[in-house]
Amino acid sequence: MNIVGPDHLVFGVEDLEGSKQYLEDFGLTPVQIDATGWCFEALDGTGVIIRHRDDPKLPPALPTRNMLRQQVYGVADATVLDQIEAEMSRDRRVTRLADGGLEFEDDLGFSLRFQVTIRRALDMPAEKINAPGAPAQRGPNELGVTDDMPALPRTLSHVVLFVPDIDKAVDFFVGRLGFVITDILQGAGPFLRPGGNDDHHTNFFIRTPAYMQGCEHLAFHMGGPTELMVAGDRFTRKGYQTFWGPGRHRFGSNWFWYFNSPLGVHFEYDADMDKHDDSWVAREAPNGPEASQMFLLQWREKWAPMGGPEGK
Amino acid sequence: MSGRLRLCHRDDIAEGQARGFLPLPGARRKVIVVRRAGTLHAYMDACPHYAGGTPMAWREDAYLDGTGQHIACHAHGALFDIETGACLSGPCLGRKLTRVPLREEEDGGLSVPAQVAGRAGRED
Ligand code: FES
Ligand SMILES: [Fe+2]
Repeated sequence: MNIVGPDHLVFGVEDLEGSKQYLEDFGLTPVQIDATGWCFEALDGTGVIIRHRDDPKLPPALPTRNMLRQQVYGVADATVLDQIEAEMSRDRRVTRLADGGLEFEDDLGFSLRFQVTIRRALDMPAEKINAPGAPAQRGPNELGVTDDMPALPRTLSHVVLFVPDIDKAVDFFVGRLGFVITDILQGAGPFLRPGGNDDHHTNFFIRTPAYMQGCEHLAFHMGGPTELMVAGDRFTRKGYQTFWGPGRHRFGSNWFWYFNSPLGVHFEYDADMDKHDDSWVAREAPNGPEASQMFLLQWREKWAPMGGPEGK
Repeated sequence: MSGRLRLCHRDDIAEGQARGFLPLPGARRKVIVVRRAGTLHAYMDACPHYAGGTPMAWREDAYLDGTGQHIACHAHGALFDIETGACLSGPCLGRKLTRVPLREEEDGGLSVPAQVAGRAGRED
């Protein structure tokens, strides 16, 4: 099934003004969608939709306090929506929306929406590096870093869910929607990608008790490791709080930097994720510090070796 | 003041407000000071959800939930009672924030024992 990946994640927040400020400072562009709703967009139009948690326009809240209200997935074209509708109508209520999209609940009670993807095709260079032995990617006089270099989220990369029943979640996404498992962290859960996306993962499930069900984090792809570091450094200097990172994951090979947020989930900058095709055989490793990262660093104030032994 | 570290002055914490202070430059965790019904409480900025504890604000000093009624961990939305530090909802239900003994000096300064600076956050 040609599902491309998450287009939008919808949240019902407690602190609307704080959340708006946060999302804009994170690097997303605000677009007001109606009197009470805002979409914060990455460069390709994917992103996060927020409303106050009491807004009747929101899908119902989860029984937990998690603020995630809906996952909106993009598909290649309208025929895919027909396939999904046919498959889902076998055992649940599927609502056809005025814009042709579909809305239904998965087997764990998460609200899902499918639509022809709104992703705008991006045409931008990846971060360029120079290395001995390889042709230079940056020509003479082309600088690697500048004070005003852009470091904006390009596209919504992945969503991670706390799920009370991994088997149910996997049966649904793999068995019914054609997602593929790329790797498994034993004790946590599987990484998945949909048929229409070669990223290592657009989804990751973590096994938790039922009272934690919801979104754990979401991530945006950056143009490369330097952009990720620059974005994270700028965000930190605005007073935001790191949860984990910067570092580089093993499964997926993506660089990561996670921040706390007023949406009660982590927001992650990620960069340089592996790509896979159907010949890939999923790996398994026990979850823990070794398996979850290649290395882990920590932000600190700028410093330079200067001055004499008397200090200062 | 030997053996104690000064965080701030009592007037720096307004009623219903929480703030975070690094007890020493380079300390592993901040100390949260919060004033509720006139009384000051202090806890390590370390959510008991994961071993070792993790920082809870979403921005500098943003420790309370949207209603201002609870201390919140903005990693996964756990809520804590301001008076007792007990988790009321979320992933660490049944656990508590680590309370830090706070002393008010004669000049109104608020201080904590020096060993707080070396703490990872959570000892249980
Ligand atoms: S780390 Fe605090 S709720 Fe998960
Ligand atoms: Fe991630």
